[in-house]
Amino acid sequence: MILLQSPSRFLIQILMNRLQNLEKGVEMDCHSVEFDDVRYRIQFSTKEPQIMVLSMAIPAPPPETVFIGGLPLGAIEAIKLAYGGLVQILDPPKDGYNVTMKLNLSKLPTDEEKRHALLVKIASVREVVLGAPLRVVLKHLQSRTVAPDIDRLVALVHRPKESFFLLPQAEKVTVVFPMRFKDNIDTVLATSFLQEFVEARRTAGLNNAPPCLWSPSPPLELRGAPNQALTANAGFVTFVIFPRHVEGRKLDRTVWSLSSFHAYVSYHVKCSEGFMHTRMRRRVESLIEALDRAKPEVEKSKKTAHGRSFKRHA
Amino acid sequence: MANTLRSYLTCIRNTLEAAMCLQNFPCQEVERHNKPEVELQTSAELLLNPVLICRNEAEKCLIETSVNSLRISIKVKQADELENILTKKFLRFLSMRAEAFQVLRRKPVQGYDISFLITNYHCEEMHKHKLIDFIVQFMEDIDKEISELKLSVNTRGRLVATEFLKQFV
Repeated sequence: MILLQSPSRFLIQILMNRLQNLEKGVEMDCHSVEFDDVRYRIQFSTKEPQIMVLSMAIPAPPPETVFIGGLPLGAIEAIKLAYGGLVQILDPPKDGYNVTMKLNLSKLPTDEEKRHALLVKIASVREVVLGAPLRVVLKHLQSRTVAPDIDRLVALVHRPKESFFLLPQAEKVTVVFPMRFKDNIDTVLATSFLQEFVEARRTAGLNNAPPCLWSPSPPLELRGAPNQALTANAGFVTFVIFPRHVEGRKLDRTVWSLSSFHAYVSYHVKCSEGFMHTRMRRRVESLIEALDRAKPEVEKSKKTAHGRSFKRHA
Repeated sequence: MANTLRSYLTCIRNTLEAAMCLQNFPCQEVERHNKPEVELQTSAELLLNPVLICRNEAEKCLIETSVNSLRISIKVKQADELENILTKKFLRFLSMRAEAFQVLRRKPVQGYDISFLITNYHCEEMHKHKLIDFIVQFMEDIDKEISELKLSVNTRGRLVATEFLKQFV
């Protein structure tokens, strides 16, 4: 799997299982943790078998991001828009979670395709909630406008205590990611990957893809950002998103790709390290085999007619 | 480029063939002890002149011999940051498995990336020419492995970038 998928497999699995036998109520209380500190809690009770109580916790926001009621700007509206009549948001959310909602699974559409699409949408609740402010900005880009009363520089959370930045304009939206990694090796590998982004766009004939730049120091667009946002050990990646990247169905995909960009690079850095370990282990085995060849062969002991064996002295 | 590698390795091979004349020598200072003299460096009459073979400023090989042991230290080429961490990672991986390799030293000599310690016991257990073959093959393999690791990182980086950008088209 090269690209990170938006619907959570944990949620899809539970939904599919429950839907096979919705009338028969069960008691269920499942927890799950996903990358970047996102936690889910799913509860079913026998009293109301068709109601699913879904709670989600999102990564802790750094000070420069705007959170209202523990959620990113526009998250509540986005949930209501995505799930329509199925959803009822509970206030306050359950302890330790940012949002809790009740989903009435008996209200799912009967048409097979629409039903499946809505289930996938429920499993993509992370994209709906965390990507809400980004979606608002990109929706305005679709119509070549800018959202009213929006700052020049918008900070959105994508990892615990870390944010990325948007500069919304009428004809384009510039997205800047400060890339930070804890480990030294991760940083060097990530830097080499990120420089490939610039190369790939140039050489692989991807002229319609968003222009992308990498620089080790903060780009000019980040003028006015708080100081702790301006240090990044793996440099800064800048994408410029044009209206053609968000038209029609591409909007949701673009929102997810940008929201999970850091996680995507991180995931591939770790895969790379795992692959290197496997290679190195294989190489060690082959070297040890070569060393064993240096040892003289053990003299085979010969057998006499009566079954006694002896070793021949060379 | 490949020419210098061949002559570098041939030079090392010839030096090793000359240097690998090891015999058992019980310790002069302590009774009933038998130590590799090249590690102790105490008695000048037991040590031979160390030989330094340089391929260029970045790559070199130090061969120190004594009456019962031989130490080979190699410094590997590290052109950029990525090669630097790959080399460090790989050689540390090997050094941690020194037990399995027998002739490998757990810590490289100061100023080098990896070291071997060959004693007279190793020469008794294994064929001398095969041991030298192993050392030379080891050096070739390190170079090959580092460049293959670097290539795999670059290839993966290109693939990751292309797949990501394709989503927007």
